[in-house]
Amino acid sequence: MAALLELKGLRRSFGPLVALDDLTFSVAAGQVVGFLGPNGAGKTTAMRAIFDLTDLDAGSVRWNGATVGPSERRRFGYMPEERGLYPGMLVAEQIQYLGRLHGMSTSGAAESTRTWLERLDVSDRADSKVEALSHGNQQRVQLAAALVHDPEVLVLDEPLSGLDPAGIDAIGNVLVERAHAGCCVLFSSHQLDQVEDLCESVTIIDHGRLVVSGTVDELTTSGARRLAVRVEGDHEAAWARRCGGVTVSEIKGGEVRLVLDEDTDSDVVLDAARATGRVTEFAFERRRLSEVFRESVAGAEASAS
Amino acid sequence: MKYVVYALAAVVAATAVLRRVWRARHGQRGGEPATGSPRRAGHRWTSAGFRERALLGDVGLVAGREIRERVRGRVFRVVSVLLMVVVAGAIVIPAVDTSSPTAQLVGLVPGPGAPPATLIEQVGHSQAIAVRVVDEADRAAAESALRSGRVDLVVDGAHTVLVDKPIDANDSSDKAELVHALAQDLALYSAYGADGLTLAQIAALSHISPFPVQSLVHGAGGAKSTKVEATSLIGVILIFVILTQYLTWTLMGVLEEKSSRVVEVLLATVRPIELLGGKLLGIGTVVMAQALLLVAEAIVVAKVVGSTLLHGTGPAVIVTTVIWLALGYAFYSWLYAAAGSLAQRQDQVQLLAIPLGVPMIFGYIVALTGASSGSPSGLVKVLAYLPPTAPFAMTTLVGFGAASWWQVALSAGESVVATVGVAVLAARVYRRAVLRTGTRVRLSEVLAGPPRTS
Repeated sequence: MAALLELKGLRRSFGPLVALDDLTFSVAAGQVVGFLGPNGAGKTTAMRAIFDLTDLDAGSVRWNGATVGPSERRRFGYMPEERGLYPGMLVAEQIQYLGRLHGMSTSGAAESTRTWLERLDVSDRADSKVEALSHGNQQRVQLAAALVHDPEVLVLDEPLSGLDPAGIDAIGNVLVERAHAGCCVLFSSHQLDQVEDLCESVTIIDHGRLVVSGTVDELTTSGARRLAVRVEGDHEAAWARRCGGVTVSEIKGGEVRLVLDEDTDSDVVLDAARATGRVTEFAFERRRLSEVFRESVAGAEASAS
Repeated sequence: MKYVVYALAAVVAATAVLRRVWRARHGQRGGEPATGSPRRAGHRWTSAGFRERALLGDVGLVAGREIRERVRGRVFRVVSVLLMVVVAGAIVIPAVDTSSPTAQLVGLVPGPGAPPATLIEQVGHSQAIAVRVVDEADRAAAESALRSGRVDLVVDGAHTVLVDKPIDANDSSDKAELVHALAQDLALYSAYGADGLTLAQIAALSHISPFPVQSLVHGAGGAKSTKVEATSLIGVILIFVILTQYLTWTLMGVLEEKSSRVVEVLLATVRPIELLGGKLLGIGTVVMAQALLLVAEAIVVAKVVGSTLLHGTGPAVIVTTVIWLALGYAFYSWLYAAAGSLAQRQDQVQLLAIPLGVPMIFGYIVALTGASSGSPSGLVKVLAYLPPTAPFAMTTLVGFGAASWWQVALSAGESVVATVGVAVLAARVYRRAVLRTGTRVRLSEVLAGPPRTS
């Protein structure tokens, strides 16, 4: 059985604000799991709970069936949302120190520090102070700090925010590689569509509650059929609104995304589009994660009322 | 003059040692150990990359980092050198001042009834003033020597002490004191001679020592000298300066970890009490190392210049200073660390540090005035048993020889107990406040409510 990190029935409120409302989900090793939700959904609080950095009103965090304690957490790696390193300390020394705090020997930590700084392409800054580094490089160093002790569980809070495409690729590749090496990788993002390619599974939460959880494949291929249609010279998609049996999900740059009712014939949609102008794009599409989120929340609210 | 050179040499040597220690630590970082192939795969947690749990574990690691970072800082080096110079100065200057290396040159004009040169030297000796007697041919030669400054004063055989300028009654210089003593004593010896005493008898009379003075109440008052007060004065000032410096570092260190959010990364693997304890242990170690270095310097310098620092209650004051520096840091460091965890930004530091500094400043001022007034006031005796002020007041009491060993032990015991209490409270505040960001955390918020679930 693959290693498993479980969050069970987490509850936490800050005064009147409920940050976690009976949140339960699990993260299996071997795949990158995206932890998604809008700002303020409770992602950071849940991740902090894994490291006992926040008081819980109820619930527990388990690793392979046992409650997570200090000795388990030494084998976890954490990259917090608010980046945190000693600003005046040298990069290599700092990472080595964090490795030692996770139980490594001096030489083991030094060796691993060098490996990760090279791997993340910041080895030339090993003897710089952290405060002298660019934002992107600080982010890489922060990731190295989470990885130095070769953790079994890797928890990263918004690791991609503020990065350029090269940085996103570099960090994304490391996450995938770690997962395939048997690590449990959980990372959060509030930009749901940005991470679609990166993770195999997602857990989406809102208002401290689980909205939906599953593999990206399952979630994006399930649900109603959807079409992406582009009609030359049309930016309003008024034709689609007149067309019965479809819902306009999104209009972006001339492309309209439509959700088809179960008994709607796509030919009827195509005819309606052609009646408006020349059709330059007409394709069946998978759901985007943002659509999965919207539809799941709407579904949950509908069933609640 | 040569003593100042010795003192400076001691400072330079100590600085060199410090620099070498710093370089050794610094060099360690550059030259990474050339270990064998990395064993990262497989049984990760039993592989060579992972250490056995050290004796002090994470506390030791945190303390080690703290010591490295502090000793490396420029502030530390500047403050260390300054303190060493001040300590050396405080010992050397009074010692050099009283030993008065230049002898007074006394011109002696021969004539009927002129005192022998040995008698003049004896008078100088009784005043602790070095005297050299120079024979002058006659009064005229003596006067010209006095005018040219070749001699400091002249004893004329005809019972006159001759000086170049009138001497002020309040003048306490060696010359003035010697002139007064010679005028008095030579007249006395001359009278003895007139009464028929031989020169040997006069010499014997000039050697008599005064009766001892005994007091009904037993105490160290008789043995007290201004030098011993100076020792406790130096001790009290040192405790204050070092405590102020390192407690500010403690507060800033906690705040730095909080405001840079590195504390979140650290607390993901280290328990709050380990992180805080390690920090205080580390800075405390630097405090003690610096104190012991200063004491070693003080002892060496005092031996070299023959200072009275090592006499009377001096050694007791030195030991007390070191003990109360440790106790004072232990007591206050928890409070300052807790204050640092409550702050959010640098500008709130003063607001939080001032109330903590008040008892320290109060104790310091009372002890200082007590030490320089010549006798310990009742207030000092009370403050010596209150942990926040004991570091200053007890050191002063010991300087006066007004505290016996069990009184010192009692006060130290109180400090230890109070420190444990303060630590429990501070650790609780720290644990709950250090991860809270946004606005400044109120003390009532973190003291109320249930303890953490961990």
